[in-house]
Amino acid sequence: MRVSVLQENLYKGLSIVGRAVPSRASLPILSNVLIATEDARVRLAATNLQLGITVWIGAKVEDDGSVTLPARTFQDLVATLPPERVDMDLDTRTLTLHLHCAGKSANIKGMDAAEFPQMPEFEPDRAISVRADVFKEMIEQVVFAAAKDESRPVLAGVLLRFDGDVFTMAAADGYRLSVRTTELEFSVGDRAPDPVIVPARTLQELGRIISDDDEEVLIALPDGRGQVMFSLDNVLVVSQLIEGKFPDYEAIIPRTYQTSVMAYTSELLAACRSSEVFAKDSANTARVLIEPASSPNEPGQVIVAGQSQEKGDAQAPLEATIEGTAIEIAFNIRYLIEVLNVIREDRVVLETSGPTAPGVVRPAGRDDFIHVIMPMSTAR
Amino acid sequence: MVRKILHLDLDAFFCAVEELNNPALRGVPFAVGGRPDQRGVVASCSYAARRFGVRSAMSTATALRLCPGLILVPHRRGAYSQVSRQVMARLHDLSPLVEQLSIDEAFVDVSFLPDDPAEVARRLQSEINESLGLPCSLGVATNKLVAKIANNVGKSRVQGDAPPNAITVVPPGEEAAFLSELPVSELWGVGPKTAETLARYGVRTIGDVAAWPEAELMRLFGKHGQSIARHARGIDDRPVEPERETKSISKEITFSRDVTDGVLLERTLRQLADGVGRQARKSRLSGTTVKLKLRWSDFTTLTRQVTLDHPVDEDDAIFEAARELFHRFWTVGRPVRLIGVGLSGFAQPHRQLGLWEDPAEESEKRRLQTTLDDLRERFGDDAIRRGSDLSIDEP
Repeated sequence: MRVSVLQENLYKGLSIVGRAVPSRASLPILSNVLIATEDARVRLAATNLQLGITVWIGAKVEDDGSVTLPARTFQDLVATLPPERVDMDLDTRTLTLHLHCAGKSANIKGMDAAEFPQMPEFEPDRAISVRADVFKEMIEQVVFAAAKDESRPVLAGVLLRFDGDVFTMAAADGYRLSVRTTELEFSVGDRAPDPVIVPARTLQELGRIISDDDEEVLIALPDGRGQVMFSLDNVLVVSQLIEGKFPDYEAIIPRTYQTSVMAYTSELLAACRSSEVFAKDSANTARVLIEPASSPNEPGQVIVAGQSQEKGDAQAPLEATIEGTAIEIAFNIRYLIEVLNVIREDRVVLETSGPTAPGVVRPAGRDDFIHVIMPMSTAR
Repeated sequence: MVRKILHLDLDAFFCAVEELNNPALRGVPFAVGGRPDQRGVVASCSYAARRFGVRSAMSTATALRLCPGLILVPHRRGAYSQVSRQVMARLHDLSPLVEQLSIDEAFVDVSFLPDDPAEVARRLQSEINESLGLPCSLGVATNKLVAKIANNVGKSRVQGDAPPNAITVVPPGEEAAFLSELPVSELWGVGPKTAETLARYGVRTIGDVAAWPEAELMRLFGKHGQSIARHARGIDDRPVEPERETKSISKEITFSRDVTDGVLLERTLRQLADGVGRQARKSRLSGTTVKLKLRWSDFTTLTRQVTLDHPVDEDDAIFEAARELFHRFWTVGRPVRLIGVGLSGFAQPHRQLGLWEDPAEESEKRRLQTTLDDLRERFGDDAIRRGSDLSIDEP
């Protein structure tokens, strides 16, 4: 193999595939990244057997070939090189890659590419197309609600559902639920695949990878393989699916409310952050007091209060449009902050029906995103 | 040294706070408590309501039958705690030796003050009356037992729709005489069972008990008999114990013979966890850390703990955590000499509710736990037991 690439492209490619390299590999080869020529490009790939990432970068190929190199070493080295042309030359006998860039040279010892797990190829014929910027936003609005631990494996994933021209993503960690929908440009019609559960981690990586240059993400669910593939311009992400049935989330979305609050997202977020300073000490419990206006011409008031037994307390009031009765409800303030962080709209709506009933958070004037948070019970 | 002990009790405390909030309630029969359709009970009732026979801990339904015009005011724990803290702060201003018994009751040791304790009590009362607007009664004596009984007696002597706001003083040396005419049930440690036994011997008043030889009481009631005898004579040496912050609650048991039986060990763990839970609830503490202690036959001790994601005070939650630790660190058949369970990391009780959780189920559990605690509190630890414990004790 003899090939030349630009340092920036190589570095960017390595940092993308590097996300799939396991920190403690079960097989030594998995600590390596595959580098292989393919037409006028270089293919880089890494996998932890759950998640595989392949990136193609432009290259000048003189001789075809492939090898695997220790991912960390390769990436660390490339990071130190100037943004110039990198010439790579593989000694097929010793599997050592000789690398030259702006007068610097290095030799990296590799392992046989044949030992590297076969990366599946993308199957575009039945793929579903989603706008890249929309998909990125959907991931951002849903993925944080997935469970961080594996005690209930399905909750560590995100549900992907296709019904006609509606694409839904949902995640819940048992205490909160995020559901985001979008309309597909091309309806899947009656060839809609069954709903699948994708590991949250996969989507987090995908969210990082999708760039402003990407226009669409193609999603493929090859039959009977238990895998999902996401194809971008120069990146392919393949992930194992989580087996199991996602719990019925629609049943827990409240259809009615007793009190509805509309406030400026940034003001509510700032109030939550103030209370968090103290709420941290009491398992993030913060109280939200909702007080409707005393007369129709005045605004209502929301007070977010956090308390620490040792350190003190904070009350942050803000004006809001309130409909319904006064309510005091306690939330894990992190949950509230996390959802407010992913709402781009100026105004946000919070609906609740009592201190033990689920609270609903959604952007004002939009019905494609809904977030449900269970309150904290502080009663004895 | 002759001590000067005050016992302070806020008169119909929750009602008094509600009256401050809504002066229209003053002099009116009303009660703080749950709604009758939710099987609520009366937490506190105004003196006007007491005239109709309404009492605290009575079911709201019964209370309404006795007093059909009774106004029900919802319970606001937060408000009462806040006012209670203000009252307790006044006591701490007086003396560092304050032992708070409950939200509305405390002992204060003012022995080191040069003043007459009756005068101290009067000043304290008017301070609480005037600056906080709350009626309160005080008992003054040379020890905790007599101060508290004096207060009970003094309060009950005041009749009418207004709170008693009484002060009752038992001067040094008159303790036994003061107690002698009172029924034995006024004494601490004399429950319905003991009172019944005493009644069979014709003993009805505290004076009757005092006249009995201590040896005879000890024969009847064991070591407990000794304290009954002393209390009946108005003797009580227990100090006023300022609240020390509880850092942990633990229970342990050393077996008379090392135990290898996993079932027995688990059952013991269950009893210990129940005991820890009960004490936690009694002290109104919830902890996030559950600790397991195991001592092997060679006297080496292993302690392991787990931190839960929210503070707990329920028997089941403590037991589950302890059991998991136990099975993780105990190998089947290994002889155990001592086993213990502890709870620490106390924090404000709060619990994240789950999306797929039935809130009714949780409150049912809570109610069951409270009922069990009440039964044990009133009728003793053996009043109710787990089915799993019966097989070994009563084959």
